[in-house]
Amino acid sequence: MARTRTTKAIAQRIDLNYFKKATPFKRAKLWLVVLAPLLAALWIAWHFLSGDHRVYSSGRLSPAHAVLEKQCEACHVKMDGGFSAAARDSACLACHDGPGHHLEMTASGAPKLPCSECHTEHRARIALANVRAKYCATCHADLGRAGKGSQFANDIRSLSNRHPEFLALRPENGAPPRDPGTIKLNHALHMKAIRRGPNGPSVQLECGDCHRPSPAGDARWEYGDKRYAAAPVRYTAADSFEPTRSRGLPAKRPGSDRKLMVPVKFANACAGCHSLAFDKRFDEGVPHDRPEVVRAFLVRTFSGYIAAHPAEVREVADPGRSLAGRLAGSQGRTVSSAQWVSERVAVAEELLWHKTCAQCHEVSGSLLEDVKIARWDAAGGRGANGVPRQTSANLPAAELPSIAKARTRLEWLPHARFDHDAHTGFSCTGCHQNALKSAESSDVLIPGIAVCQTCHAPGPGYASAECSECHTYHDWSRRTEVKPVFTWPALRGGGS
Amino acid sequence: MLIDRSQRGWAMASLGILAAGLGIYLPYASISPAGPRGGSAVGLLFGAAGFAFMLYAAALGARKRVPTWRLGRAKAWMQGHLWLGLLALPMILFHGGFHFGGTLTRVLMWLLIITVLSGIYGALLQHLVPKRMTSDVPLETIYDEIGHVRALLAAEADRTVEACCGSFLNRGGRAAEGKDGTWQRAGGFTALRPIAASAAPLRTSAAVSAGASAAVAPAAEILLLSESESEPLRSFYSLEVRPFLERPEERGLRLSDEARAAGAFTALRTVLPSAAHGALDDLAEICGEARQLRRQERLHRWLHGWLLVHIPLSLALIVLGAVHAVMALRW
Repeated sequence: MARTRTTKAIAQRIDLNYFKKATPFKRAKLWLVVLAPLLAALWIAWHFLSGDHRVYSSGRLSPAHAVLEKQCEACHVKMDGGFSAAARDSACLACHDGPGHHLEMTASGAPKLPCSECHTEHRARIALANVRAKYCATCHADLGRAGKGSQFANDIRSLSNRHPEFLALRPENGAPPRDPGTIKLNHALHMKAIRRGPNGPSVQLECGDCHRPSPAGDARWEYGDKRYAAAPVRYTAADSFEPTRSRGLPAKRPGSDRKLMVPVKFANACAGCHSLAFDKRFDEGVPHDRPEVVRAFLVRTFSGYIAAHPAEVREVADPGRSLAGRLAGSQGRTVSSAQWVSERVAVAEELLWHKTCAQCHEVSGSLLEDVKIARWDAAGGRGANGVPRQTSANLPAAELPSIAKARTRLEWLPHARFDHDAHTGFSCTGCHQNALKSAESSDVLIPGIAVCQTCHAPGPGYASAECSECHTYHDWSRRTEVKPVFTWPALRGGGS
Repeated sequence: MLIDRSQRGWAMASLGILAAGLGIYLPYASISPAGPRGGSAVGLLFGAAGFAFMLYAAALGARKRVPTWRLGRAKAWMQGHLWLGLLALPMILFHGGFHFGGTLTRVLMWLLIITVLSGIYGALLQHLVPKRMTSDVPLETIYDEIGHVRALLAAEADRTVEACCGSFLNRGGRAAEGKDGTWQRAGGFTALRPIAASAAPLRTSAAVSAGASAAVAPAAEILLLSESESEPLRSFYSLEVRPFLERPEERGLRLSDEARAAGAFTALRTVLPSAAHGALDDLAEICGEARQLRRQERLHRWLHGWLLVHIPLSLALIVLGAVHAVMALRW
């Protein structure tokens, strides 16, 4: 007989108390429901009872504070009778000084920001000092609204958002930006192959031959002259460089001495090619110094020479040589040693002031109008005795020229700092693109902000574009020392 | 619970809350110099909202425990559980600014993610598995009773084969029995112990199938085969049918597979006299029902297994979340 199934028969095989029986699934669920929260509670209780509060931390500490990861109380100070143990400025200032921002800002009564407003901890292994641009923009995005009207641009959000062009590159009163330096230098010419002297080899200068971030002496200057480098000079830094106009706040740490470029000096970068020769009798050139030093050198040098060579006071004019377009007389003449020296000095100075020095410096002075190149009077002809009239020797000591101060600008970003040493991997002309075509000393050759923005921009694949890369918030010139708080090794062991 | 048109209100409300959350979060995240933080006012707002949603979702368990409470319809609770529980994840992500933070917060975030994902997984299964259950397991029974029903099927099979072959089985007892040899059946009466086939071979297949006693069985028919005739059946039953009914979860059993089982029964039919074919059909049907029960077990584990993850972790989440709320305010 075939097997039959009825609803009643099927229903009858169900145990009415089936729901009271614990099936494996029910048992597993019950155990897990009890165990999971219990384990969670035990885990947290174990941390609590062992005094390890790190488990509540909202993230890893920055590397600078990593040593305090077990010392929550170092920063989280519980106030008497209070529940909260939030980190307070007093805890920060116990170890660090945090001088305010610009003095004028703090003096204006602007509220002082709490440390954690900008330096937010527990954000993993970040550099706490590298504050994001957004923090700065809370005020600098609208300085006027913030009641902090100042000399600075009123609306700066970030490097890539409304940051003005660098001050040195901004037009002033409608005129294009100018390099205030007075040294005449044609960059474009120097970046081409140059013949070194009349018969010298052809050389191709590189930027690093004159411009280096390292202090002088670190490496041999290819086109320098050790004698000039070693010689003391009478001119001062004030004669050479423009006064520093830094208006930015000083950095906390001075940084490397490779941040700014080493000032280009004649002894290091020019002397190898630009000779200061003054007379064919001497191989050495005049000192690269003030005019009075040069004149003293000339007098001393010629005096020494004529003392050693007294026969040379008798001169015979070279008939084949034309000076100033006139034929010299054929007769010879004998002059005193003093006159000989005076004449030679005058001629050398003529060469130096008019040509050698003036090639690079702005030379001025009344002397330059009257000076005569010839030692033989070219205009006056001969005297009554048929001897050519003397010229320079009879002149009073010539007035010294005035050499304009070089005014070489060393710091082009007065509100910020730029570290050349951090950019050594890049070619100079990649950023200083105008250097290859600049013919005038007045050309400003620092790259514009757009060049910086090509690498420093928000987002992955770019270098940091935070304000703190170039600017400083705290005025570290007003720093004060703090009293030590922690004692090593008690700190590592849990004490303080 | 199926997510269908009836839940459009919840869906729209949840989307509205999510949109409002995004509307607050995006400007807050872009303006805030430090980025979104759980400790900021907006961060705390999101944290409180997320934790409130979690508490509501967790309250479903309590509501189920006490179904007599007049706290709204169970359906509404389940819908709220689904939608607000789902919303808890974006709210907490907004709270933490999509950062997982330190140890406790990281644990919390992973607990939340696993809980929500397991819930989504469970909701998807609720859409798929019941349909499959209906089509694959027409003889579905109460899951907790599967073992019991399977024991009844084994007993029925025993009796069926013994009706043909005589007593040859060595039983150690019947799994289907209650502790005292009785069990309470649906219908509200206690049945007597089923009589062993050898002792009372007179019963119908229907009565055996129902597990009823001889007292409720109609008149029986006797189909005894000779020793030699019944040998293939006895051998097949001992070696394949009984092991399959007792341990259906074992791998490699021929009767676990419907096609292979049909082949086995067809082959056996050719060597048995026609008088035994009825019993053979009954055995094939019993094995088919046992296969369905096995299938039901598997589907049930799919349908409810995720709860073993979802419920315990959600409770751990609530415990640790409460600790986090207190400690975060303190530190």
